[in-house]
Amino acid sequence: MKFVDEYRDPELGRALATQILAETEPGRHYKVMEVCGGHTHSIYKYGIDDLLPPNVELVHGPGCPVCVIPMGRVDDGIAVARNDGVIFTCFGDMLRVPGSKQTLLDAKAEGADVRMVYSPLDALRIARENPDREVVFFAIGFETTAPSTALTLKRAKAEGQTNFSCVCNHVTIVPPLRALLESPDLRLDGFIGPGHVCTVVGARPFDFIPGEYGRPVVISGFEPLDILQSILMILRQLREGRCEVENQYKRVVPQDGNLKALEVMAEVFALRPHFEWRGLGFISQSALRLSDEYAEFDAERRFATPNVRVADPKACQCGEVLKGVIKPWECKVFGTACTPEHAIGTCMVSPEGACAAYYNFGRYQRQREAV
Amino acid sequence: MTTGQRCATDDVHCITCSDEGIEMTVVEMTQCGAQCRDPEGIDQRVEVDLVEPVAIGEVLLVHAGVAIANVSRPPAPNQPVTS
Repeated sequence: MKFVDEYRDPELGRALATQILAETEPGRHYKVMEVCGGHTHSIYKYGIDDLLPPNVELVHGPGCPVCVIPMGRVDDGIAVARNDGVIFTCFGDMLRVPGSKQTLLDAKAEGADVRMVYSPLDALRIARENPDREVVFFAIGFETTAPSTALTLKRAKAEGQTNFSCVCNHVTIVPPLRALLESPDLRLDGFIGPGHVCTVVGARPFDFIPGEYGRPVVISGFEPLDILQSILMILRQLREGRCEVENQYKRVVPQDGNLKALEVMAEVFALRPHFEWRGLGFISQSALRLSDEYAEFDAERRFATPNVRVADPKACQCGEVLKGVIKPWECKVFGTACTPEHAIGTCMVSPEGACAAYYNFGRYQRQREAV
Repeated sequence: MTTGQRCATDDVHCITCSDEGIEMTVVEMTQCGAQCRDPEGIDQRVEVDLVEPVAIGEVLLVHAGVAIANVSRPPAPNQPVTS
Protein backbone atom coordinates (compact mmCIF):
# COMPACT_ATOMS: atom_id res chain seq x y z
CA MET A 1 0.00 0.00 0.00
CA LYS A 2 1.46 3.31 -1.06
CA PHE A 3 2.27 5.68 1.82
CA VAL A 4 1.73 2.95 4.44
CA ASP A 5 3.89 -0.17 4.07
CA GLU A 6 7.12 1.69 3.38
CA TYR A 7 6.68 3.61 6.64
CA ARG A 8 6.27 0.49 8.78
CA ASP A 9 9.42 -1.38 7.76
CA PRO A 10 10.87 -3.05 10.91
CA GLU A 11 14.45 -3.00 9.60
CA LEU A 12 14.34 0.71 8.92
CA GLY A 13 12.73 1.19 12.33
CA ARG A 14 15.59 -0.58 14.06
CA ALA A 15 18.10 1.42 12.01
CA LEU A 16 16.45 4.66 13.12
CA ALA A 17 16.47 3.48 16.73
CA THR A 18 20.24 2.93 16.45
CA GLN A 19 20.70 6.41 15.04
CA ILE A 20 18.56 7.88 17.84
CA LEU A 21 20.76 6.19 20.42
CA ALA A 22 23.83 7.62 18.73
CA GLU A 23 22.42 11.16 18.94
CA THR A 24 21.88 11.08 22.70
CA GLU A 25 24.41 12.29 25.22
CA PRO A 26 25.01 9.91 28.14
CA GLY A 27 23.72 11.34 31.39
CA ARG A 28 21.24 13.69 29.74
CA HIS A 29 17.51 13.05 30.02
CA TYR A 30 15.41 14.15 27.05
CA LYS A 31 11.72 15.00 27.28
CA VAL A 32 9.97 15.24 23.92
CA MET A 33 6.27 16.08 23.73
CA GLU A 34 4.09 14.62 21.01
CA VAL A 35 1.42 17.26 20.69
CA CYS A 36 -1.15 15.22 18.86
CA GLY A 37 -3.35 12.42 20.16
CA GLY A 38 -2.84 10.57 16.89
CA HIS A 39 0.87 10.40 17.61
CA THR A 40 0.19 9.13 21.13
CA HIS A 41 -1.98 6.39 19.67
CA SER A 42 0.66 5.37 17.09
CA ILE A 43 3.47 5.40 19.67
CA TYR A 44 1.72 2.83 21.83
CA LYS A 45 0.08 0.88 19.04
CA TYR A 46 3.46 0.24 17.38
CA GLY A 47 5.56 0.12 20.54
CA ILE A 48 7.73 3.02 19.44
CA ASP A 49 8.62 3.93 23.02
CA ASP A 50 10.14 0.45 23.44
CA LEU A 51 12.67 1.26 20.70
CA LEU A 52 13.90 4.40 22.43
CA PRO A 53 16.81 4.66 24.85
CA PRO A 54 15.68 4.96 28.49
CA ASN A 55 16.83 8.58 28.63
CA VAL A 56 14.47 9.64 25.82
CA GLU A 57 11.06 10.20 27.36
CA LEU A 58 7.92 10.90 25.37
CA VAL A 59 5.46 13.27 27.05
CA HIS A 60 1.88 13.27 25.84
CA GLY A 61 0.44 16.63 24.85
CA PRO A 62 -2.99 18.24 24.79
CA GLY A 63 -3.82 17.45 21.16
CA CYS A 64 -6.89 15.34 21.80
CA PRO A 65 -9.95 17.60 21.51
CA VAL A 66 -12.26 15.17 23.28
CA CYS A 67 -9.79 15.04 26.18
CA VAL A 68 -9.65 18.80 26.61
CA ILE A 69 -13.36 19.61 26.33
CA PRO A 70 -14.63 20.77 29.73
CA MET A 71 -17.65 19.15 31.30
CA GLY A 72 -19.65 22.37 31.16
CA ARG A 73 -19.56 22.34 27.37
CA VAL A 74 -20.81 18.73 27.35
CA ASP A 75 -23.66 19.83 29.60
CA ASP A 76 -24.47 22.62 27.16
CA GLY A 77 -24.66 20.09 24.33
CA ILE A 78 -26.91 17.79 26.33
CA ALA A 79 -29.22 20.71 27.15
CA VAL A 80 -29.57 21.49 23.44
CA ALA A 81 -30.12 17.81 22.59
CA ARG A 82 -33.00 17.61 25.09
CA ASN A 83 -35.07 20.23 23.27
CA ASP A 84 -38.22 18.90 21.63
CA GLY A 85 -37.83 18.44 17.91
CA VAL A 86 -34.04 18.63 17.92
CA ILE A 87 -31.86 16.10 16.10
CA PHE A 88 -28.48 16.41 17.79
CA THR A 89 -25.49 15.19 15.79
CA CYS A 90 -21.85 14.68 16.78
CA PHE A 91 -18.81 12.53 16.11
CA GLY A 92 -18.89 9.09 17.69
CA ASP A 93 -16.15 9.76 20.23
CA MET A 94 -18.08 12.70 21.66
CA LEU A 95 -21.03 10.52 22.65
CA ARG A 96 -19.20 8.98 25.61
CA VAL A 97 -17.59 12.08 27.09
CA PRO A 98 -18.89 12.60 30.63
CA GLY A 99 -20.71 15.81 31.47
CA SER A 100 -21.40 16.71 35.07
CA LYS A 101 -24.27 14.22 35.32
CA GLN A 102 -24.36 12.14 32.15
CA THR A 103 -23.10 11.63 28.62
CA LEU A 104 -24.83 12.32 25.33
CA LEU A 105 -25.37 8.56 25.08
CA ASP A 106 -27.22 8.65 28.40
CA ALA A 107 -29.37 11.50 27.08
CA LYS A 108 -30.07 9.43 23.97
CA ALA A 109 -31.10 6.48 26.13
CA GLU A 110 -33.53 8.79 27.91
CA GLY A 111 -35.18 9.81 24.64
CA ALA A 112 -33.12 12.62 23.14
CA ASP A 113 -32.60 12.21 19.38
CA VAL A 114 -28.78 12.04 19.38
CA ARG A 115 -27.13 10.69 16.22
CA MET A 116 -23.55 9.94 15.35
CA VAL A 117 -22.18 11.38 12.12
CA TYR A 118 -18.87 10.89 10.36
CA SER A 119 -18.84 14.38 8.86
CA PRO A 120 -20.66 17.66 9.50
CA LEU A 121 -21.81 17.35 5.89
CA ASP A 122 -23.83 14.31 7.05
CA ALA A 123 -25.50 16.51 9.65
CA LEU A 124 -26.42 19.00 6.94
CA ARG A 125 -27.87 16.17 4.87
CA ILE A 126 -30.02 15.15 7.86
CA ALA A 127 -31.24 18.76 8.06
CA ARG A 128 -32.24 18.67 4.39
CA GLU A 129 -34.11 15.40 4.94
CA ASN A 130 -35.92 16.68 8.04
CA PRO A 131 -37.14 20.19 7.21
CA ASP A 132 -39.59 20.18 10.13
CA ARG A 133 -36.85 19.41 12.71
CA GLU A 134 -33.98 21.50 14.09
CA VAL A 135 -30.67 19.76 13.38
CA VAL A 136 -27.68 20.71 15.52
CA PHE A 137 -24.06 19.68 14.96
CA PHE A 138 -21.75 19.61 18.00
CA ALA A 139 -18.47 20.70 16.45
CA ILE A 140 -15.19 19.78 18.12
CA GLY A 141 -11.64 19.44 16.92
CA PHE A 142 -8.50 21.33 16.05
CA GLU A 143 -7.64 22.96 12.75
CA THR A 144 -7.78 19.57 11.01
CA THR A 145 -11.51 19.34 11.65
CA ALA A 146 -12.51 23.00 11.55
CA PRO A 147 -12.38 23.27 7.71
CA SER A 148 -15.04 20.57 7.35
CA THR A 149 -17.35 22.45 9.72
CA ALA A 150 -16.62 25.73 7.92
CA LEU A 151 -17.31 24.21 4.52
CA THR A 152 -20.58 22.73 5.81
CA LEU A 153 -21.78 26.05 7.21
CA LYS A 154 -20.82 27.85 4.02
CA ARG A 155 -22.91 25.34 2.10
CA ALA A 156 -25.82 25.64 4.55
CA LYS A 157 -25.79 29.39 4.08
CA ALA A 158 -25.68 29.10 0.30
CA GLU A 159 -28.63 26.69 0.41
CA GLY A 160 -30.60 28.90 2.80
CA GLN A 161 -30.89 25.99 5.27
CA THR A 162 -32.74 27.50 8.21
CA ASN A 163 -33.10 24.37 10.39
CA PHE A 164 -29.37 23.73 10.77
CA SER A 165 -27.07 25.11 13.47
CA CYS A 166 -23.83 24.34 15.21
CA VAL A 167 -22.47 24.33 18.78
CA CYS A 168 -18.94 25.44 18.01
CA ASN A 169 -16.18 24.03 20.23
CA HIS A 170 -13.34 24.17 17.73
CA VAL A 171 -10.00 24.91 19.33
CA THR A 172 -6.61 25.99 18.04
CA ILE A 173 -3.33 24.31 18.87
CA VAL A 174 -0.89 27.18 19.30
CA PRO A 175 -2.33 28.85 22.46
CA PRO A 176 -2.24 25.68 24.61
CA LEU A 177 1.33 25.00 23.49
CA ARG A 178 2.27 28.49 24.59
CA ALA A 179 0.50 27.86 27.91
CA LEU A 180 2.47 24.64 28.36
CA LEU A 181 5.74 26.37 27.58
CA GLU A 182 4.92 29.01 30.20
CA SER A 183 4.16 26.30 32.77
CA PRO A 184 6.83 26.27 35.48
CA ASP A 185 6.38 22.58 36.32
CA LEU A 186 7.17 21.24 32.86
CA ARG A 187 10.58 21.11 31.20
CA LEU A 188 10.49 19.97 27.60
CA ASP A 189 13.38 19.60 25.15
CA GLY A 190 11.40 19.51 21.92
CA PHE A 191 8.08 18.93 20.20
CA ILE A 192 6.77 16.44 17.67
CA GLY A 193 4.45 18.73 15.71
CA PRO A 194 0.90 17.80 14.68
CA GLY A 195 1.15 16.72 11.05
CA HIS A 196 -2.43 16.98 9.94
CA VAL A 197 -3.13 20.25 11.72
CA CYS A 198 -0.11 21.57 9.80
CA THR A 199 -1.66 20.35 6.56
CA VAL A 200 -4.18 23.13 7.15
CA VAL A 201 -2.22 25.82 9.01
CA GLY A 202 1.26 25.12 7.61
CA ALA A 203 4.53 25.15 9.53
CA ARG A 204 4.88 28.87 10.24
CA PRO A 205 2.53 29.10 13.26
CA PHE A 206 5.08 27.03 15.19
CA ASP A 207 8.00 29.39 14.60
CA PHE A 208 7.44 30.94 18.03
CA ILE A 209 8.55 27.74 19.80
CA PRO A 210 12.19 27.92 18.67
CA GLY A 211 12.04 31.69 18.31
CA GLU A 212 10.72 32.57 21.77
CA TYR A 213 11.27 29.44 23.83
CA GLY A 214 14.38 27.91 22.26
CA ARG A 215 12.86 24.47 21.63
CA PRO A 216 13.02 22.52 18.35
CA VAL A 217 9.85 21.39 16.57
CA VAL A 218 9.63 18.65 13.96
CA ILE A 219 6.31 18.34 12.16
CA SER A 220 5.67 14.64 11.87
CA GLY A 221 3.63 12.08 10.01
CA PHE A 222 1.81 9.33 11.85
CA GLU A 223 3.44 6.13 10.69
CA PRO A 224 6.04 4.48 12.96
CA LEU A 225 9.02 5.51 10.82
CA ASP A 226 7.68 9.07 10.58
CA ILE A 227 7.66 9.35 14.36
CA LEU A 228 11.05 7.71 14.83
CA GLN A 229 12.60 9.95 12.21
CA SER A 230 11.04 13.01 13.86
CA ILE A 231 12.53 12.05 17.23
CA LEU A 232 15.88 11.59 15.52
CA MET A 233 15.61 15.03 13.90
CA ILE A 234 14.81 16.66 17.26
CA LEU A 235 17.74 14.98 18.98
CA ARG A 236 20.03 15.91 16.10
CA GLN A 237 19.01 19.57 16.40
CA LEU A 238 19.75 19.43 20.12
CA ARG A 239 23.17 17.83 19.61
CA GLU A 240 24.13 20.29 16.89
CA GLY A 241 22.88 23.25 18.92
CA ARG A 242 20.27 24.11 16.31
CA CYS A 243 16.73 25.14 17.14
CA GLU A 244 14.17 25.43 14.35
CA VAL A 245 10.95 24.12 12.88
CA GLU A 246 11.64 21.21 10.56
CA ASN A 247 9.10 19.41 8.41
CA GLN A 248 9.51 15.63 8.42
CA TYR A 249 6.05 15.26 6.82
CA LYS A 250 6.93 17.12 3.63
CA ARG A 251 5.10 14.57 1.51
CA VAL A 252 1.85 16.03 2.84
CA VAL A 253 2.45 19.30 4.74
CA PRO A 254 3.06 22.46 2.71
CA GLN A 255 4.94 25.28 4.38
CA ASP A 256 1.96 27.61 4.09
CA GLY A 257 -0.81 25.09 4.76
CA ASN A 258 -4.02 24.85 2.77
CA LEU A 259 -4.85 28.42 1.79
CA LYS A 260 -8.37 27.56 0.63
CA ALA A 261 -9.13 25.94 3.98
CA LEU A 262 -7.71 28.91 5.89
CA GLU A 263 -9.80 31.25 3.76
CA VAL A 264 -13.07 29.47 4.44
CA MET A 265 -12.23 29.21 8.15
CA ALA A 266 -11.54 32.96 8.29
CA GLU A 267 -14.94 33.62 6.72
CA VAL A 268 -16.96 31.32 8.99
CA PHE A 269 -15.15 31.56 12.35
CA ALA A 270 -13.88 34.25 14.69
CA LEU A 271 -11.65 33.85 17.74
CA ARG A 272 -13.30 33.60 21.14
CA PRO A 273 -11.70 35.94 23.68
CA HIS A 274 -11.10 32.95 25.96
CA PHE A 275 -12.10 29.31 26.28
CA GLU A 276 -11.81 26.74 29.03
CA TRP A 277 -9.58 23.72 28.42
CA ARG A 278 -9.89 20.73 30.65
CA GLY A 279 -6.83 20.55 32.83
CA LEU A 280 -5.32 23.71 31.40
CA GLY A 281 -7.91 26.26 32.54
CA PHE A 282 -8.96 29.31 30.54
CA ILE A 283 -6.70 30.15 27.63
CA SER A 284 -7.22 33.38 25.72
CA GLN A 285 -7.92 33.30 21.98
CA SER A 286 -7.67 29.53 21.92
CA ALA A 287 -11.04 28.62 20.41
CA LEU A 288 -13.38 29.54 17.60
CA ARG A 289 -16.95 30.82 17.51
CA LEU A 290 -19.08 31.48 14.47
CA SER A 291 -18.39 34.85 12.86
CA ASP A 292 -21.08 37.52 12.84
CA GLU A 293 -21.77 36.67 9.21
CA TYR A 294 -22.72 33.13 10.29
CA ALA A 295 -24.37 34.02 13.62
CA GLU A 296 -27.72 32.71 12.36
CA PHE A 297 -26.21 29.18 12.49
CA ASP A 298 -24.99 29.50 16.08
CA ALA A 299 -26.92 26.98 18.19
CA GLU A 300 -25.87 28.80 21.35
CA ARG A 301 -27.93 31.77 20.16
CA ARG A 302 -30.82 29.57 19.09
CA PHE A 303 -31.13 27.45 22.25
CA ALA A 304 -30.79 28.14 25.96
CA THR A 305 -27.76 26.46 27.56
CA PRO A 306 -26.67 26.25 31.21
CA ASN A 307 -23.28 27.80 30.33
CA VAL A 308 -21.94 26.80 33.76
CA ARG A 309 -18.33 25.93 34.54
CA VAL A 310 -18.09 22.47 36.11
CA ALA A 311 -15.02 21.38 38.08
CA ASP A 312 -13.39 18.05 37.18
CA PRO A 313 -14.02 15.09 39.52
CA LYS A 314 -11.56 15.26 42.42
CA ALA A 315 -10.23 11.76 41.77
CA CYS A 316 -9.41 12.56 38.16
CA GLN A 317 -5.89 13.76 37.29
CA CYS A 318 -6.50 14.33 33.57
CA GLY A 319 -5.19 17.86 33.92
CA GLU A 320 -1.78 16.68 35.06
CA VAL A 321 -1.74 13.99 32.36
CA LEU A 322 -2.65 16.56 29.70
CA LYS A 323 0.18 18.82 30.83
CA GLY A 324 2.59 15.89 30.81
CA VAL A 325 3.32 16.32 34.51
CA ILE A 326 2.40 12.73 35.36
CA LYS A 327 2.17 9.54 33.34
CA PRO A 328 -1.32 8.04 33.01
CA TRP A 329 -0.51 5.09 35.27
CA GLU A 330 0.47 7.52 38.05
CA CYS A 331 -3.13 8.77 38.29
CA LYS A 332 -4.84 7.44 41.42
CA VAL A 333 -7.81 5.97 39.55
CA PHE A 334 -6.04 4.73 36.39
CA GLY A 335 -7.09 1.19 35.53
CA THR A 336 -9.15 0.79 38.69
CA ALA A 337 -12.08 3.20 38.99
CA CYS A 338 -11.24 4.70 35.59
CA THR A 339 -11.19 2.35 32.59
CA PRO A 340 -12.32 2.73 28.97
CA GLU A 341 -15.55 0.95 29.92
CA HIS A 342 -16.24 3.28 32.85
CA ALA A 343 -14.23 6.41 32.21
CA ILE A 344 -14.02 9.11 34.84
CA GLY A 345 -11.66 11.32 32.91
CA THR A 346 -11.70 12.30 29.25
CA CYS A 347 -8.19 10.94 28.64
CA MET A 348 -9.66 7.46 29.14
CA VAL A 349 -12.64 8.10 26.85
CA SER A 350 -10.94 8.65 23.55
CA PRO A 351 -8.66 5.92 22.18
CA GLU A 352 -6.25 8.77 21.38
CA GLY A 353 -6.28 9.91 24.99
CA ALA A 354 -3.02 9.11 26.75
CA CYS A 355 -4.73 7.03 29.44
CA ALA A 356 -6.67 4.91 26.97
CA ALA A 357 -3.55 4.44 24.83
CA TYR A 358 -1.63 3.19 27.87
CA TYR A 359 -4.49 1.00 28.97
CA ASN A 360 -5.33 -0.50 25.57
CA PHE A 361 -1.78 -1.33 24.56
CA GLY A 362 -0.59 -3.02 27.71
CA ARG A 363 1.28 -0.25 29.50
CA TYR A 364 -0.94 -0.67 32.53
CA GLN A 365 0.03 -4.30 32.84
CA ARG A 366 3.72 -3.56 32.23
CA GLN A 367 3.87 -0.86 34.86
CA ARG A 368 2.27 -3.20 37.36
CA GLU A 369 4.83 -5.87 36.53
CA ALA A 370 7.64 -3.35 36.93
CA VAL A 371 6.36 -2.45 40.40
CA MET B 1 -24.13 1.34 21.15
CA THR B 2 -23.70 1.29 24.89
CA THR B 3 -21.47 3.39 27.07
CA GLY B 4 -19.00 0.58 27.38
CA GLN B 5 -18.26 0.26 23.69
CA ARG B 6 -15.50 1.97 21.76
CA CYS B 7 -15.99 4.88 19.43
CA ALA B 8 -18.64 3.76 16.97
CA THR B 9 -16.88 5.35 14.02
CA ASP B 10 -13.99 2.97 14.20
CA ASP B 11 -12.81 0.40 16.70
CA VAL B 12 -9.39 1.94 17.21
CA HIS B 13 -9.77 5.61 16.40
CA CYS B 14 -11.81 8.61 17.04
CA ILE B 15 -11.56 10.82 14.01
CA THR B 16 -11.30 14.12 15.81
CA CYS B 17 -8.85 13.13 18.49
CA SER B 18 -6.61 11.20 16.23
CA ASP B 19 -6.11 14.28 14.06
CA GLU B 20 -6.84 11.62 11.51
CA GLY B 21 -6.30 11.97 7.82
CA ILE B 22 -7.09 8.91 5.74
CA GLU B 23 -5.27 8.65 2.45
CA MET B 24 -7.90 7.83 -0.18
CA THR B 25 -7.57 7.36 -3.92
CA VAL B 26 -9.93 9.18 -6.27
CA VAL B 27 -11.80 6.59 -8.35
CA GLU B 28 -14.48 8.79 -9.90
CA MET B 29 -15.28 12.46 -10.20
CA THR B 30 -18.93 13.35 -9.67
CA GLN B 31 -20.94 16.57 -9.80
CA CYS B 32 -20.95 16.77 -6.01
CA GLY B 33 -17.40 15.77 -5.12
CA ALA B 34 -15.27 12.73 -5.72
CA GLN B 35 -15.78 9.05 -5.08
CA CYS B 36 -12.70 7.90 -3.20
CA ARG B 37 -11.39 4.52 -2.03
CA ASP B 38 -9.70 4.00 1.32
CA PRO B 39 -6.82 1.55 1.95
CA GLU B 40 -9.32 -1.18 2.88
CA GLY B 41 -11.15 -0.81 -0.44
CA ILE B 42 -14.18 0.99 0.92
CA ASP B 43 -15.58 3.76 -1.26
CA GLN B 44 -16.86 7.03 0.10
CA ARG B 45 -17.98 10.32 -1.38
CA VAL B 46 -15.51 13.04 -0.47
CA GLU B 47 -15.85 16.81 -0.62
CA VAL B 48 -12.92 18.18 -2.64
CA ASP B 49 -13.57 21.93 -2.69
CA LEU B 50 -10.49 22.66 -0.58
CA VAL B 51 -8.00 20.75 -2.75
CA GLU B 52 -9.18 21.29 -6.30
CA PRO B 53 -8.17 20.55 -8.98
CA VAL B 54 -8.34 16.80 -8.42
CA ALA B 55 -7.92 13.99 -10.93
CA ILE B 56 -8.80 10.29 -10.94
CA GLY B 57 -5.97 8.23 -9.45
CA GLU B 58 -4.70 10.98 -7.15
CA VAL B 59 -4.38 10.36 -3.41
CA LEU B 60 -6.16 12.75 -1.06
CA LEU B 61 -5.83 13.21 2.67
CA VAL B 62 -9.42 13.04 3.92
CA HIS B 63 -10.65 14.15 7.31
CA ALA B 64 -14.32 13.96 8.33
CA GLY B 65 -15.46 13.52 4.74
CA VAL B 66 -13.51 16.52 3.45
CA ALA B 67 -10.19 16.37 1.56
CA ILE B 68 -7.66 18.69 3.20
CA ALA B 69 -4.59 17.88 1.10
CA ASN B 70 -3.72 16.36 -2.25
CA VAL B 71 -0.87 13.96 -1.48
CA SER B 72 -0.25 13.29 -5.18
CA ARG B 73 0.73 16.91 -5.68
CA PRO B 74 3.23 17.27 -2.85
CA PRO B 75 4.51 20.73 -2.01
CA ALA B 76 8.13 19.55 -1.94
CA PRO B 77 10.06 16.39 -2.75
CA ASN B 78 9.65 13.58 -0.23
CA GLN B 79 12.23 13.46 2.48
CA PRO B 80 14.07 10.15 2.75
CA VAL B 81 12.82 7.94 5.54
CA THR B 82 16.28 7.60 6.94
CA SER B 83 18.61 10.53 6.97
